[in-house]
Amino acid sequence: MLTFLKKDLLLFWRDRKELLIVITLPLLIIVVLSFALSGLFGEDQSENYDLSLSVVIEDNENEALEEFISSVNQSQELPEDVKEALTTGVREAPPVESLIQFLMSPDMESWMTVETMSESAARESVENESKNAMLVIPEGYTTSLLNRIYFEQEAETALEFSAKDTAFEVDMIQSIIQGFVDQMNLQYVISSAGGTIDPAEVQMPVGGIETLEEEQSSSLTIGIDQYFTISMGVLFVLFLASTIASRTGSEKREHTFSRVILSNAPPLHFLFGKTSSTFILAFLQILIIFIGSHLILGSFADRSLTFWFGTILILLVYSFSIAGLTSILTSISLQIKNQDVVDGLFMGIIMLFGTIGGSFVPIYVMPQWLRQIGEFTPNGQTLAVLMEWFQYENFSALWVPLLILAGLSAAAIMGSILLYPKKGETS
Amino acid sequence: MIEAIQLNKKFKEKIVVKDVDLYLDKGESVGLLGPNGAGKSTTISMISSLLKPTSGDVKLNGKSVVKTPADIRKVLGVVPQEIALYQELTAYENLKFFGRIYNVPKDQLESRIQRTLELVGLKERQKDLIKTFSGGMKRRINIASAMLHEPEILILDEPTVGIDPQSRNYILEMIRQLNQQDHTSVLYTSHYMEEVEQLCDRVYIMDHGKVIASGSQPELLSILSNEDTMMVQLNQTSNELITAILKMDVVRNIEETSDGLKIIAKKSSNIISDLVKLVDQHNSKIINFQMENPRLEDVFLHLTGRTLRD
Ligand SMILES: Nc1ncnc2c1ncn2[C@@H]1O[C@H](COP(=O)(O)OP(=O)(O)OP(=O)(O)O)[C@@H](O)[C@H]1O
Ligand SMILES: [Mg+2]
Repeated sequence: MLTFLKKDLLLFWRDRKELLIVITLPLLIIVVLSFALSGLFGEDQSENYDLSLSVVIEDNENEALEEFISSVNQSQELPEDVKEALTTGVREAPPVESLIQFLMSPDMESWMTVETMSESAARESVENESKNAMLVIPEGYTTSLLNRIYFEQEAETALEFSAKDTAFEVDMIQSIIQGFVDQMNLQYVISSAGGTIDPAEVQMPVGGIETLEEEQSSSLTIGIDQYFTISMGVLFVLFLASTIASRTGSEKREHTFSRVILSNAPPLHFLFGKTSSTFILAFLQILIIFIGSHLILGSFADRSLTFWFGTILILLVYSFSIAGLTSILTSISLQIKNQDVVDGLFMGIIMLFGTIGGSFVPIYVMPQWLRQIGEFTPNGQTLAVLMEWFQYENFSALWVPLLILAGLSAAAIMGSILLYPKKGETS
Repeated sequence: MIEAIQLNKKFKEKIVVKDVDLYLDKGESVGLLGPNGAGKSTTISMISSLLKPTSGDVKLNGKSVVKTPADIRKVLGVVPQEIALYQELTAYENLKFFGRIYNVPKDQLESRIQRTLELVGLKERQKDLIKTFSGGMKRRINIASAMLHEPEILILDEPTVGIDPQSRNYILEMIRQLNQQDHTSVLYTSHYMEEVEQLCDRVYIMDHGKVIASGSQPELLSILSNEDTMMVQLNQTSNELITAILKMDVVRNIEETSDGLKIIAKKSSNIISDLVKLVDQHNSKIINFQMENPRLEDVFLHLTGRTLRD
């Protein structure tokens, strides 16, 4: 058996050109795409969105807060513990201060400049277009807001947002502010029902600029380079299956397969060589792509040992599934006499898997039922599992999909053994 | 030991091999002779268990090869007509791979590889990739790959095509030695008459999928016992003259060769004088005249009216 494995590995090693393509091409694509797309979606958003806002604060927040707290304490309806929670909550996250802090936070700073000034200066800045828009926090805003939320009174004042004309930038600023305010209101409502206010929970609203870079609570980020490493790595390993399986065709054409048959070597040893060499090569290939991407782009710089352990586990299972695919393709190619049919079939299967597995086009353009089928392709399943792992590093979420994938692969290998021509007859 | 009984092979509706009976005894050397497309390779593929006959059977010591192909594969070495080697591996790697899968004992493999390489004269090139070899060198490794496991029966399908005369003689000599010293049975396919004459005890002549004659060389040549073969050189020939010669009652066949006209005719006493007269009538002259010993080539010509390499 090992004789066949050695032969197949040696043949692959001799085919350096192929070897080079299979590893450098995906890396090249990863690097190029990462650079090309990081300009659009990556960290350098300030270059694309250069927003500016003048803020006019007419409200006296501290005064309003003291007033609110004393009216809470005087309230007959509220139980003592709720009074306590409200008081500390409001003190910790005063509405106006939170808003200003948010607008001037380092997160926002990179793509929006915010300046506080007097109302007349603000109007001028909008008029002469040195600022995109202005925001007035009117007198009594804090009182009005808190009363509305906690005492269900009519709101008396609201934030005043104005701009010279409606532009994309203006819409964006408005939706950011609106989103923040909505979020904060929600937090206050929660706290009034006994929860706590956590300003960190108040997220930046996402007005059409959601990216993979987006920081999400309790999840790690998937960088654009990481995303391409996953999808290209998975795709190119998929190609390997048809590359190795179609070798069987050339062994038939070049009559070496006849010699193998005549040698009386157990027929399945030939299949074993193909399957096991694919497993080894697929694993090396995708591992080199991952490591290469890490060395070139620093894709996984801040990842832990656990991350690598899980990733390698996923890649091992994926390589196994590619070996299963190769195995079944090899048996098929021995059953069909016409090599053109075989080649066409392989191409079709790989393209199909690539497409419904989401390796070529984003899955969301496809209908739901197709997406579900796509999850049963080795590449589709692996893509999903890797994305999940990259974000949550949660082992317990790995077992089920990996077991399914390994199970399907084992079934494919069984199937290929059943399909393999008995007695080694070729005609 | 090997016997083919009423072998038939159809590809789609085309009959390629028809009712072929053939046997090969232990230690024998048997030739299979025939022009391109005669069905030699197809017959050999069926005998060596690579191809299932449409009907008929092949038996090894009375047991059906079609049903239990493993038996014959154990004792068989096959040199296919096409180069059956991994082009991307070296000569050594090819031999090692085939030796291993043919179950050559590990401790003997290395020495057998080296000996076989020496035998085919390519020991110095063993570290080179097959794809860098010349056609003739590939053929020699092709032969070597079938001999490593020291088979009892060696089937060779036109093994010497494209090999220079010197190496060819060397290879033929090697096969003869295997046959005579090691008592390896040999089934040798060729359309080179001389090779078969030199090597084989018995010969089967195939044409259009059928065996049209078989037997030892003297037996086959005796088919020609009532014929004469002569080489005639003329100072000038014309189509009319050739047609006229062909029209002579006793003349069976005529062939233009570089040495002159090769005429096959029924044994008769006055053919020479008749021929001289005819040539004279066409204003030509006989420069050289020679009676030839009949050869297998002539047997084929006699049976089919064609030469082997038509
Ligand atoms: N797989 C096949 N499918 C269809 N026809 C075939 C196939 N193999 C051989 N033939 C046909 O069978 C006939 C005999 O072929 P074969 O190779 O046995 O001849 P051969 O005697 O070995 O000739 P050569 O001296 O050229 O090697 C040819 O007409 C060929 O076209
Ligand atoms: Mg042939």
